Amino acid sequence: MWSGNVKTALANLRSSKTRSLLTMLGIIIGVSSVITVVSLGEGLKQRLVGQIRQIDPAVVIIRPGKLVDTAGTDKMNLNLLALLSPTTLTENDVGALAKIPSVSTVVPLNFATNSLASDGRQLNNISVLGTTPSLTKVLDQKVERGAFFSEENEGEKLAVIGSDIAKQLFDGTNPIAHSISIKGESFIVRGVLAPSPGGLLSIAQTDFNSVVYIPFNEAKKISGGQTNILQILAGVRDGQNIDVAVLDVKQTLLNSHGNQDDFTVLKQRELLKLANDTVGSAAGFITAIAAISLLVAGIGIMDIMLVSVSERTREIGIRKAVGATNRQILNQFLVEGMALSVGGGIIGITMALLIYFGLRLYTRLEPVLTAPIMILAVVVSVVVGVIFSVAPALKAARKDPIVALRGE
Amino acid sequence: MALIQLQEVSKIFGFGEATTLALDEVELTVEKGEFLAIMGPSGCGKTTLMNIIGLLDRPTHGKYLLDGRDAAKLRSNQRAKMRRDRIGFVFQFYNLLPRLNVLHNVALPLAYRGMMPVRRLKRASDILEQVGLRDREYFLPKHLSGGQAQRAAIARALINNPSIIIADEPTGNLDSHDSKVVMELLADLHRQGHTILMVTHNPELTRYASRVIYMRDGTIVEDESTSIGAVAKGALRTYLRRRKTTQEDVIAGVSALLKDVPGKELASQPKIAKYRKLHKRARRRIRSKI
Repeated sequence: MWSGNVKTALANLRSSKTRSLLTMLGIIIGVSSVITVVSLGEGLKQRLVGQIRQIDPAVVIIRPGKLVDTAGTDKMNLNLLALLSPTTLTENDVGALAKIPSVSTVVPLNFATNSLASDGRQLNNISVLGTTPSLTKVLDQKVERGAFFSEENEGEKLAVIGSDIAKQLFDGTNPIAHSISIKGESFIVRGVLAPSPGGLLSIAQTDFNSVVYIPFNEAKKISGGQTNILQILAGVRDGQNIDVAVLDVKQTLLNSHGNQDDFTVLKQRELLKLANDTVGSAAGFITAIAAISLLVAGIGIMDIMLVSVSERTREIGIRKAVGATNRQILNQFLVEGMALSVGGGIIGITMALLIYFGLRLYTRLEPVLTAPIMILAVVVSVVVGVIFSVAPALKAARKDPIVALRGE
Repeated sequence: MALIQLQEVSKIFGFGEATTLALDEVELTVEKGEFLAIMGPSGCGKTTLMNIIGLLDRPTHGKYLLDGRDAAKLRSNQRAKMRRDRIGFVFQFYNLLPRLNVLHNVALPLAYRGMMPVRRLKRASDILEQVGLRDREYFLPKHLSGGQAQRAAIARALINNPSIIIADEPTGNLDSHDSKVVMELLADLHRQGHTILMVTHNPELTRYASRVIYMRDGTIVEDESTSIGAVAKGALRTYLRRRKTTQEDVIAGVSALLKDVPGKELASQPKIAKYRKLHKRARRRIRSKI
């Protein structure tokens, strides 16, 4: 009986192609937009997480301001104001942290400027960060060419540049030993970083691929002796408990800030969770909006099915006269509604795949498609089809055969 | 036991002032193997009677026994199954599904029985052979002539080997040649032992019937057994008076044929008043069954 119903349903849909396609359009748009939004969110999440994963798990991250609002709840809310405010961390904090016994290395990330120039070309969307050679100890960041500057290079104007900058400034030629100009001072490129997963809301609000690391003191010098510390990474000494280190760091900073709690101390795991939560809630919100279009599409199906039922009143009458039970009529129309939504779901997934490849090829967004998203989309479209076909199918099934036979 | 037994069957349509009495305490018994022709002017309740016998409609009052079973006690899906297995409908306008070809149309009742496609199409093909439409199997209904379409409809009615074939003006839309073909087919079925109930306006067609009933205003006014091959006497009377149709009759919409159907004058107005009271209760009863 089911195969017969499917055949009948497909034949009916084929007989009014334009209408069927227009009805499916709602589902197509709904499914493809849900999949696209979720895959973009997933991609963003993986990029963020990727960069945070580069931080050694045994590292305490100190950020200026109260970045996270954990007041009373388990959920971490990102405090955006803290990202925009001037830093509250100073060079003194770095010195104080270095004296803590449970901490082995302290690495500041000191923001110097956003632009650099080389051979008359200028880049403005980069970050120049002053740091210490120990950065390589707390960060899983490979150097592709050359080397990171070391303790022995103290006083030399050296720079290690991100992979994107190398590409943009030097077009594939070896940048090592070339000079770049930062705030009028000339720096020699010492190393080029390997490509990083990249990220936005990451370690120092910068993308590792477009960052220039210079020695901490040089950064301070070109900023007229000022520091602007975006972040301090403190490596936990071997054999020490990270939670102990976190408490030590907090206490030390409270002491040097006059008991003012104007900083944030996070473990890598917490930072991961923060990133996930932030992107997750944003993506969830957009997905909910896309899901509304599925609801609208469902109503569209119901609409067309109702029209179809009243158009086919006579057919229903005939079918009942030759012995169709109410249930058999109900099934026939349910299957038809399902065919519409499943068809729309399949086309929607195809569209989503096309969009996915388009985004991968032509934009820097990196959506990530996962099987659960696609399965969910199909299931949702079937469920939508069934739910919104029930009313029209019931209407058809309950038609009085005499009235139906007389109809139109 | 009689195949069809109607006891004081009434059918009321509408509410309050708009109430109409479509059937008024009809008593009818049909034995297996009869070819019953039903005649009467438009609106006399012929079709309502057929719908009730065909289990498409329920009487508001009275009892209908189909093969000894009380039809009022059947639930909706039991009625559907009875229609499928015991009753074959032939309509004036064929009522074939326009999007299905002849073969699938004929096989439709078997599909609702859950028979496998190959088997049911084979069986439909055999039945089409019987009605002489084997070569039109894959045609759509719109590509058939009226006579062919009606023969396909008869094939569909026959496919479940029903005990009753209900034909509501089967030739009403056909020319004389096609009418003859269709009627010969029905006569054949009658000879094979099928019970046939046929509504007609054409007195000529009573030649095929073994019994003719005349209806007026919801009641049976005459019940006549006739010999096959001869026009029934009652029908003949009206047939001969046909030329007397006046302009007034046309305006009043009185059927030219049967304005002179034999029988007593009817006084149905008081009865309507009586039924109105019963009506409310009956409606409630029926609704609770649906």
